[in-house]
Amino acid sequence: MKYLIIIKSCVVSLLLSGICAAQTTIISGATIHVGNGQVIENGVLVIEKDRLLEVGTSLKNLYKNAKVLDASGKHIYPGLIAMNNIMGLNEIDAVRATKDYQEQGEFNPNVRSQIAFHTDSKILPTAIYNGVLYTQAVPQGGVISGSSSLLKTKAWNWEDATVVKDDGIHLNWPQVSPNNPKHEEILREAILEIETFFANAQQYQQQNKPIFNARFAAMKDLLNGKGNLYIHAQEAQSIVRAVGFFKQHYPAIKLVLVGASDAYLLIDFLKTNQIPVVLSNIHRLPMRNAEAIDQPYVTPYQLVRAGIKVAISLEGSWESRNLAYIAGTASAYGLSREEALQSITLVPAQLMGIDKEIGSLEVNKKASILIAEGDLLNMKTSKLWKAFIAGEEIDLNNEQVKLAEKYLNKYLKK
Amino acid sequence: MNKILKLSVFLWLPFITQNIFAQSSFPNNGPANPLPNYFALTQVNIQTKPGELLQNASIVVKDGKIESVGVGIIIPKEAKIINASGKYIYASFIDLFSDYGIEPSGLNQNGRTQLYENNKKGAYAWNDAVKSYQEAANVFKVDDKKSKLLLASGFGACLTAVPDGIFRGTAALVLTGQAHEQKMIVKANAATQMSFNKGSSKQPYPGSMMGVIALIRQTYLDASWYTQQKYEYLINFEHLNTYKNLPTIFEAENKLAVLRAAKIAQEFKLSYIIKGNGDEYQRIPEIKSTGMRLIVPLNFPKPYEVGNPLDAIKVNLADLKHWEMAPANAAQISKNNIPFALTTQGCSDAKVFWQNLQKAVLHGLSADQALAALTTTPAAWMNMHKQIGSLEKGMLANFFVCNGPIFEPETHILNHYILGETHVIEPEPSYKLTGNYSFKSLPNTWLSITEKEGKYSGVLRGKDTLKVQISEQEGLFLFSFTKNKESKSPVQVNAWIHEIDSQTQQIKALHGKMWISQEESEPFVLLFDSVQTQKSKKESKPQPNIGKVIYPFCEYGNEQLPQAENLVFKGATVWTNEADSILTETDVAVSKGKIVAIGKNVNLPNARVIDAKGKFLTNGIIDEHSHIAIYRGLNECTQNNTSEVRIGDVVNCDDINIYRQLSGGVVACQQLHGSCNPIGGQSSIIKLRWGKAPEDMKIANAAGFIKFALGENVKQSNWGTETGRFPQTRMGVEQVYYDAFIRARAYEAAQKENPKLTRKDLEMETMLEILNKKRFISCHSYVQSEINMLMHVADSMGFVVNTFTHILEGYKVADKMKKHGASASTFADWWAYKFEVIDAIPQNAGILNQMGVVTAINSDDAEMGRRLNQEAAKIIKYAGISEMDAWKMVTLNPAKMLHIDQQTGSIKVGKDADLVLWSDNPLSIDAKALYTLVDGTIYFDREQDKEWRNALQKERSRLIQKMLEAKQNGEKTELKISELDPDYHCEDFE
Repeated sequence: MKYLIIIKSCVVSLLLSGICAAQTTIISGATIHVGNGQVIENGVLVIEKDRLLEVGTSLKNLYKNAKVLDASGKHIYPGLIAMNNIMGLNEIDAVRATKDYQEQGEFNPNVRSQIAFHTDSKILPTAIYNGVLYTQAVPQGGVISGSSSLLKTKAWNWEDATVVKDDGIHLNWPQVSPNNPKHEEILREAILEIETFFANAQQYQQQNKPIFNARFAAMKDLLNGKGNLYIHAQEAQSIVRAVGFFKQHYPAIKLVLVGASDAYLLIDFLKTNQIPVVLSNIHRLPMRNAEAIDQPYVTPYQLVRAGIKVAISLEGSWESRNLAYIAGTASAYGLSREEALQSITLVPAQLMGIDKEIGSLEVNKKASILIAEGDLLNMKTSKLWKAFIAGEEIDLNNEQVKLAEKYLNKYLKK
Repeated sequence: MNKILKLSVFLWLPFITQNIFAQSSFPNNGPANPLPNYFALTQVNIQTKPGELLQNASIVVKDGKIESVGVGIIIPKEAKIINASGKYIYASFIDLFSDYGIEPSGLNQNGRTQLYENNKKGAYAWNDAVKSYQEAANVFKVDDKKSKLLLASGFGACLTAVPDGIFRGTAALVLTGQAHEQKMIVKANAATQMSFNKGSSKQPYPGSMMGVIALIRQTYLDASWYTQQKYEYLINFEHLNTYKNLPTIFEAENKLAVLRAAKIAQEFKLSYIIKGNGDEYQRIPEIKSTGMRLIVPLNFPKPYEVGNPLDAIKVNLADLKHWEMAPANAAQISKNNIPFALTTQGCSDAKVFWQNLQKAVLHGLSADQALAALTTTPAAWMNMHKQIGSLEKGMLANFFVCNGPIFEPETHILNHYILGETHVIEPEPSYKLTGNYSFKSLPNTWLSITEKEGKYSGVLRGKDTLKVQISEQEGLFLFSFTKNKESKSPVQVNAWIHEIDSQTQQIKALHGKMWISQEESEPFVLLFDSVQTQKSKKESKPQPNIGKVIYPFCEYGNEQLPQAENLVFKGATVWTNEADSILTETDVAVSKGKIVAIGKNVNLPNARVIDAKGKFLTNGIIDEHSHIAIYRGLNECTQNNTSEVRIGDVVNCDDINIYRQLSGGVVACQQLHGSCNPIGGQSSIIKLRWGKAPEDMKIANAAGFIKFALGENVKQSNWGTETGRFPQTRMGVEQVYYDAFIRARAYEAAQKENPKLTRKDLEMETMLEILNKKRFISCHSYVQSEINMLMHVADSMGFVVNTFTHILEGYKVADKMKKHGASASTFADWWAYKFEVIDAIPQNAGILNQMGVVTAINSDDAEMGRRLNQEAAKIIKYAGISEMDAWKMVTLNPAKMLHIDQQTGSIKVGKDADLVLWSDNPLSIDAKALYTLVDGTIYFDREQDKEWRNALQKERSRLIQKMLEAKQNGEKTELKISELDPDYHCEDFE
């Protein structure tokens, strides 16, 4: 209520003076989960325009006419970053016309998800409702699926949504069912195709006046160590082969492993090679019968304890609204709450090179914050009270909430 | 009159058979050319039958039959005498599961087709998988190549059938000799054969294992009705009825399929001879109690490629253990007195069969039992024991001759007689070179010649001991050795046979020329001195040590099934789901599977006390919508009404997902048919009694349920171009229901009017159960129009739709559902995966609950199934319901829907002790099930699980080590990727 009054007065003062002092918002009384592991009890946080001005236990400056939000008993988190995702590229799984994440052909480094991102997707508001403020829109399919971008889940259009343009290129390491009697042969051929493609792309960069080739041209930054090569691979053999290949032949390329169900079998290998990992969905069954029943839940803990950088993601689109709970499970099975939080905030920001801007609640970073009624990583207490993206408050209402209200009202009238 | 006729035929029988044998209906082109076939094998060891070995005996054969056999019998003058001294004779083996001499038919059809009717021309029944009209005798052709292989592995007779279809028609008992077919077929229609595989039929039905079982049951009913009716002539049923009294061989693909086949046999009061797949040892007690006879293959796996640990992880424990235990299968069956025969099926060749037979004996199968399973047992089962299977006067002269006792490693078959005609397997050399020889010109020098696998070698013992290389060509020999130990200059000897013993073929003297160099040679004479004193090779190998059978036979299985215990949980926070709701610091006692006391300071004599302070005790989770533990397909997609199929027929107790659900606190679930058709199959309601056999997992006397489905799946909206089955719209879906229910009423009337002549129709029987409130519907549903439609159908037919499952637009019709009396079983937050779920909202369950509809959260997914507590917690967030209401959504409410709330679903004295002790508030993300109990039995214990993981890794590494050793010892290996248990969702076809 207090908040509303302040807004009103702000509108009035804006009309009168043209300057709104309420561009400053002070949020106090909450437990602040910074995102870098730090927790501030009964903390205070200052937002000015799109930035965080203060984060701490008490205010360092005095603010006149600042908007003050009393968030006592509540918990504040950085906006969540959903990696490895097709939100905005896919509306309804079973309806082909609504799918924009998979292009024709095997090698498409030149196709870019950024421009297909549908900011009015009905799915995005349901993810925001649960705190997902950023999404890495990732093309799928083929050998090289294309280039991903990091986008805001709340925006007018894709230009406005873009946070990191073309953060990396996605490679699906070939996997052939070993039940196929020719699997070794097929696999060798598939790997040879990758080798050839990279060799040609490399040679293309060395030409003085090359005849334009969109595919090879799109590889330039990657080969020069800009942006990530996201290697999507699940099985241990694939991981070792893929990482080994690039480490040997293209040491300049920055590698990020995605999926990586078997990563727990290769902890030393990943550590030695300093490969960060984006785990895709840990709410899944073990890969094999002999795996521990909770292996997918425990893997994040095993990797983090070994010093490997781990982000947690949920492949898919609508499913991403459960991102916090996936991290919650990782926490129930070994990670501390703050480490689990980091895997869906700061680590993704670091991997995409944007951690100076987003990913944690530190001074001068973008004010993308969530205020939850309780523990965000625990289903029953995770209801959001408010959310801000780059200083701008987001309406948490969505079509689903409206439908619920519509029918509840119908019944209550009776 | 009939009696007299039978009697007279019986009296004539011996006369007829005697004469027919000598006669032939075939004309001669030129003078007849009968050859004498009268001979005797003498001085042999004859195994006349298992347990009876005659030493130094003789057998006399005339015109294909045994004229006499025994010790000291008189050999007739006319008979040619063949001295076989020291050799062993055995009755030819019999294989009851064979396709010898049958050309392979069409490939198995697995793809989805739209061929709903049988397009086979002729008066055939509706389903082409019922191939009861096939007669193997009509298409049998002697196959020289395979005949040789069979004879070489000891098999003189096969029960051969056309391996195509579910009902496969009649099998013929044929001999494997290379004479004309008319002589080789000894019993044309000796048995019938069946299987669980549809074979070459192009019709889609049956597309699942449960569909196959339903088709078998309906076919038996139809064949019986067929004899009463006079409307139709159907070739399939004519054949079925003609041969219904023959023994039936049933092919089953694994131990659980053996139980499924037996269940069918018991229902129709039949006895099958079930051909298993060699894993019967994994369920011996259950298989024994069926009383069925078995045909068992010796198809032992090779050691797997496990040298690379990253390959080894792909092999499941069941496969690793089976490699070790498969050779002990026959011994286990035999020890448990289950009647069994052996088959070559699954062995790539004769050599493998023999090696495996010897392995089976090494693993504890007695030689006599093995012999019986290959001879007298199959002969008796075919009622042919007076002709084949043993060696007695008057029986067919089918036997083989070995160089030694049959189960010795060095023994092989030399000669195989079929109807007295010899088939040479391994030609015997016309001389015997092995032995110790002396040199005529060199005193105190000896040459010992030995043979191994057809190759000779020698050792020269004089001043020095020298190795001698021996090569041999049609009786000409070349010996080469060195002058002495130090020298490298060769001495070579050409030698030939000078004198030989006509009885024993032992070479008595060898003459030749010894070349010391090209210029220098001298004569050479070797004289036979003595046979080699054979080192007794009989260092009888000890029976190998092998692991134990576990139940179920996979990871986290138990050697001993857990038992119901006396337990007291002390000081827990108890969520009762009853009026008292939450009890703090309370004790709960459990005995004999039931909750016996709830309160403070509860004591139970002889009880194990579990400290539950700070922990939460609740009823276990019940999943209304699950597809775990289902074998070979959860959807019978192939007709719009498949109410005759039953998930209960295909429960797979070996699915590791059962254990994984237990780890998430799940104690019971409804195994639902998929959502492929408006009227799907019957469900099975099980408790997760990990390790028990399928029938023992089912909740006894649980109400019957059936899956219905609406919307996109049943109208094949997302099938691409492969559509064509009625219905294709929601309009058509309604008509399927009215048609089925109205026809069911008419069927009921017909039954009352004329019970005998009314064909028993399993589909109609099920529809009637619904109408008569003996079976209840769980209906897959999404949008409000179709939900309302089905309630209208039900109202007009006078029953209630028990449960709408999924029901994602339930919030739009909650008032109507409440009025109708339907329950709702939904997802917490699924949506956007197809068009019809575009209005799905996570507030759904909360609104339904608020409107008074009994509401549950289900999984439809083996992974989510083990986190249903988390899914329930989401409803608190989205709809603001209380913790107790949320908790009931995964416990008491589903119990109510499944009509099992009288026995489970809450914590109350007298109810089943289906309990979970949680580490935290069960609706918290941190909650872990510490103990999961079903019927007072601890099936999951988180501490024990840690121990089991270690034990599992130990057992795996023991087996992998053993495999690596086997590989080092020269055994061939194979690449193995274990199949994973399917992770079914209701839209999966299969």
